[in-house]
Amino acid sequence: MISTLIDKQDSFEIVRDQIGAILTTEIASQMSLATAAGKDPQDYKLRVYTERSNPWENFQDNPDDRSPLVNVWYDNSNFSPTKSNISERQASESIYNVDCYGYGLSRDDGASGHIPGDRDAAFEVQKALRLVRNILMSAEYTYLGLRGLVWQRWPQSVTVFQPQLDARQMQQIVGARLSLRVAFNEFSPQVEPVEIELISIDVIRKEDGQVVVEADYDYTAP
Amino acid sequence: MSLRQIAELDLGLILEDSVTGFGYSIVLTDPSGKVRPFTGFSDDISQIIDPDTGEAVSGRLASVAIRTSSLYAAGLSLPVGVSDAGSKPWIVEFDDINGTACKFKVSQSNPDRALGLITLLLELYK
Repeated sequence: MISTLIDKQDSFEIVRDQIGAILTTEIASQMSLATAAGKDPQDYKLRVYTERSNPWENFQDNPDDRSPLVNVWYDNSNFSPTKSNISERQASESIYNVDCYGYGLSRDDGASGHIPGDRDAAFEVQKALRLVRNILMSAEYTYLGLRGLVWQRWPQSVTVFQPQLDARQMQQIVGARLSLRVAFNEFSPQVEPVEIELISIDVIRKEDGQVVVEADYDYTAP
Repeated sequence: MSLRQIAELDLGLILEDSVTGFGYSIVLTDPSGKVRPFTGFSDDISQIIDPDTGEAVSGRLASVAIRTSSLYAAGLSLPVGVSDAGSKPWIVEFDDINGTACKFKVSQSNPDRALGLITLLLELYK
């Protein structure tokens, strides 16, 4: 039996939370930098979530906040036996999906034309992809801030999904996915050692170079 | 009068009866700015959007149905979705049942030229 409580987060959970934390803090920082640069901070705003699966209802009633949504979720892991050992450590390559949702709103351009919502939604989601990839692949996060645990992160693929053809809802929504591959170790509980016999050993190097080992045994004669 | 013409007249009775039927007040604005009131059917219901990520987005599906002969009589052509960002789109405005005003752009038109009915699929417009 395993004698200890498995009271820890696995590495894949730590990495998932770290990706969400990095995106949240860096987006806040980007908004501050945009303000300092005289740009509109709303253009840099993303709303970051982890592991959400209920329908998004943020865009239902013509909201004032049209900033893209980002959902970080753990997809799968592959374990490499050749990079692992059989007792303690399993080398893992895991996929995290960073899903982005862009909302577009058709609106008057104040001149003789209009801003089309379908294009607006595509541009919004691509902006979100741009920010997410740049943040996660920046030199500051070579190891996702988890050096010693993570040894590689890589954007495996980016996919922008086409809007459905069979329904034309009044909201223009485009989804996109950055699949981020992260390599790290998972660790498992180990056997707790049991003391069998206490042995005390002194190792002495004598003047002539001879090494002498002297052992004391707690021994009771029968 | 042919059966088809009778059907078109019946369409008018069904679509444009706002007293005892489902007819509802709709205002249409064409790209040149001509504003015309109509009576027709309007829909605004919830519908899930599937962005293919495996997670849905709650949305709404809105449409109006208008008699084409009423459009021509008002001096308008058949509305269409306008893709060109340099042009104004067709605008549709109607209130929901509680009196909240809604403004839309025509994103797709489905005219039935045999019966004289056009259904316009709408998207939000600000």
